[in-house]
Amino acid sequence: MAVALGIDLGTTNSVAAVATPTGVEFILGARGERVHPSVVAFPASGGVVVGSDAKRYRLSEPEHVVHSAKRFIGQSTRAPLVQLALTGVHYAVVEGANQQPIVVMRDRRMTIPEISAQVLRHLRRAAERQLGTPIEEAVITVPANFTDGQRQATREAGRLAGLDVIRLINEPTAAALAYGFGRDRDQTIAVFDFGGGTFDVSLLRIDGEVFEVLASDGDFFLGGDDLDLALAEHLAGEFHRVIGIDPRPHPALMMRLRMGAEAIKIHLSDHAAAEGEIEIDMTIDTQLGQRDGGSDRIGSLPFALTRAEFEERITGYVERAMVVTQQVMAAARIDPRQISEVLCVGGTTRIPRVRQRLAEVFGREPNIAIHPDEVVAHGAAIQAGSLTGNLVTNSGMAARDAVATAGHSPLALGALALPEMAARRPVLLDVNPATLAIHTAGGYTERLLTKNAPIPIERARVFTTSRDNQTRVEIDCCRGEARRYADNEPLGTLLLDGLPARPRGELHIEVQFRVDVDGILHVRATDQTSGQQQEAHLQVLGAPVPGAPDATNHPAGGER
Amino acid sequence: MSARAEVLLWAQRVTGRKGATAHQILEIPTGANSDDARDAFHKIARMAHPDLHRRTLEPAELELVTTAYARAAAAYQEIRGVRMSTGRIRTIRDGEIAAPSAATAGTGDPPLRKPVTGPRSPPSTSIAPPNKLAAASEEPASVGPRMSARALHHYRRAELALSRGDLAGAVLLLRMAVASDPQSAFLRSALSEVEAEVTKKP
Repeated sequence: MAVALGIDLGTTNSVAAVATPTGVEFILGARGERVHPSVVAFPASGGVVVGSDAKRYRLSEPEHVVHSAKRFIGQSTRAPLVQLALTGVHYAVVEGANQQPIVVMRDRRMTIPEISAQVLRHLRRAAERQLGTPIEEAVITVPANFTDGQRQATREAGRLAGLDVIRLINEPTAAALAYGFGRDRDQTIAVFDFGGGTFDVSLLRIDGEVFEVLASDGDFFLGGDDLDLALAEHLAGEFHRVIGIDPRPHPALMMRLRMGAEAIKIHLSDHAAAEGEIEIDMTIDTQLGQRDGGSDRIGSLPFALTRAEFEERITGYVERAMVVTQQVMAAARIDPRQISEVLCVGGTTRIPRVRQRLAEVFGREPNIAIHPDEVVAHGAAIQAGSLTGNLVTNSGMAARDAVATAGHSPLALGALALPEMAARRPVLLDVNPATLAIHTAGGYTERLLTKNAPIPIERARVFTTSRDNQTRVEIDCCRGEARRYADNEPLGTLLLDGLPARPRGELHIEVQFRVDVDGILHVRATDQTSGQQQEAHLQVLGAPVPGAPDATNHPAGGER
Repeated sequence: MSARAEVLLWAQRVTGRKGATAHQILEIPTGANSDDARDAFHKIARMAHPDLHRRTLEPAELELVTTAYARAAAAYQEIRGVRMSTGRIRTIRDGEIAAPSAATAGTGDPPLRKPVTGPRSPPSTSIAPPNKLAAASEEPASVGPRMSARALHHYRRAELALSRGDLAGAVLLLRMAVASDPQSAFLRSALSEVEAEVTKKP
C-alpha cells in the first residue's frame, strides 16, 4: 500500500505526517521531536547534516549552515526581497543561470531546490524508518502567496528528494482542513499564519466537506525571524555598551546573539520578564572592533528584558500583520463578526501581544486549542491520504480509538470514524494568489485571471495585432494588480511567430491562461486564423531550468 | 447513473458549448446572483473536482473533467467578480466588460491599440520591433457580462466615478445603467455592492 507523506516545508522548521487508519501520525526526529529544523549543514568534517543536528553547527561554523532557504526558493537573486534576505544569512549566495540563487559551500554549488531537497529527503528517510515502508509520494504545503516560480521550485525540490509531489496545497487551506474536516460545519473562519519567515491570513468558508478560500493575502517577508533580528539588534547595542566591542562585524557573535534573542522571545511568551546571561564563550579578534590589541575572550552578555519592552520593539511588525488582516477582510467584504473561528498557525502566534491584537481585530479570542506548529502538516496528511485513497482502507476502526502514542493525533481535531471519511472526501477550493495579466500595446495590462479566483481555472481572451503585416507577437505575462505593465512582476514571454501578414486588427490570437490544481500557470496562444498553436510552461526567472543539468558540479550528495 | 458516467457527461456538456455565458456554464438561470452561483459551483465541486477523480478516470478523461471544471471556476469567478475584486472598489475593470455590439475587427479603435514599445530585455528588442498585442475589439461571448450599449456607457462612467472615489456619483450612474438594461444581473449586483459600500461609510 502506497503511503503519501504530508509535509509542511517551513522557513525555519518542517513537520511531516501521514494519515493512518487510526489517525494522523507525525514523523519523529532522533530525539522524538515532531518539529524538524529546516537547516542543512555542510560541516568542515565532511558530509551533509540535516535537522536538529545541523542546528548545532550554527555556532561553530555559521558560514557552512544553510537556513531560511525558503526565502530564496524559486526567486530571482535580483528580487528586492531576496536582496534583503541575503543580509540576514551568513552563507554565500551567488547568481546562477536564469538569475537563480546558488548556494556556494566550499567547492560545492547548489541550487535552492537542492538544499530544500536535503530537508525533504531527511523527512522522507525518517518516515521510512518509522513506518517501515518506502515512501514515494507527498503533498507539500506552500504559503498561499507563493508565486508560480516558487511553486515550481518547491515541486523540483520534491523531485530531487525522490518524491512524487502529488499536490501542493496552501498552508492556510491545510490548517482549515485539519480544523474542519469531518465536522460537517457551515461557517466562515480566518486562518492567521504567522510563522518563522512568512505571514499570511486567509478567510475560508467551510460548507460541509467543501473548503472554499474566500480571500488570502500576506506579507512574504514578515515572520518570527524578523522579531529575532530586531531583538538581536537591541542585544548588539547592549553588547557594544557593556563590553565595548561592536559585535555587528562578527557573524559568529551575531549568530549567538540571534539565538539568544530567539530564546528570550520564547521565554517571554510565558513569562512577564526575562533575565540572565547569553553565553558567548568566544575569542573575538578585536582588530575588527573598535579597540586596539589582539583578541579578547568574551564570556557572556547579561540581559534583563520585560515582556512590555519586547512587545514595544516588535510592535511595528505586529501592526503590519494586522493591517494585512484588515485588508483581506475588506477585500472579501466580510465583517469580523461573520467569522466564527480564528485559527492561529505558526510559532509567532504564541506571542501574547499577537493574540491580544487578534482578539481586538476580530472581536473574539483566537482558537489556541490547535497546535500552531503541527496543524499544517496535519492537514497535508489528510489531503495526502484522501488523494491516494488511503483514508478508506482498513475502515471500521474509529479514529477515537487511536492509541495516544508520541506520534499520534486523532484525525482532524474532532473525533471522526473512518467509514464517514470514506464517504466524505474533502474538496479544497484553493485560490490563485495573484492577478495574472498580459502586456498590451501602450504599456498596459489586460487581466486574464484575477486574484483569489478558485483553481484550477481556465480563461481565454482574443487579442489582435497592433501593426499592419505583423508576423510575430510576443506575449509578456506578468502578475500584479497594476494597470501599467511596468509596475507588475514579469513572469515570462511567449512567442508566436510566422503569422500570416495581414492588416492590423485582422489577426485573432486567443491567449489562454490556465492555473492548475497546484497553482502553476500554463499559457497557450493560438492564432485562430491558421490554427497555429504555442503552448508554454513559462520560464520564470529564478526557477530551475527544466531539462537543464543541475547547477551543481558534484555528484548528488547524500545525507550523512 | 454511476458517478463516473455522471461527471463525464457533465464535462462533455460544459466543454461542448461554444460561446456559453457564465450562467449557462454553471447551468443556472440568467438572473441568478452570486449566492446562487456559489451554490451551483459548490455542487459542481462536490461532483467534479479533479481531486475526486484522479484515481478513477483515464488521463484523457481526467483532462476533460479538469478543463470543464476550470471553465466552471472561471464562470463562478466572473459572476461574483465585482464582489471579490479586492478591497479597492476602483478595481472594477474594463476587462470584465464585453463590447456592447460585436464591432467588426479593425474598425473601432480600442483604447489599448497604440503600438508602443514596453520595457524589454535587451536581446529581444534588438531583433524584434514592438510586437505587442492589442485588446481585440471583438470579444468571445463567453467572457464578460453582456449589457446594452447605453447601459455600458453608464457603467463605464460609474467606473470612472469610482476611480475618483465618488461613490454617490457611481451609485447614480449605476442606477441609470440598471434602468437602461434591467435584465442585467451583473449590473444589479454591481449596484447593490456599491450601495453597500456607501452605507458602510460614515
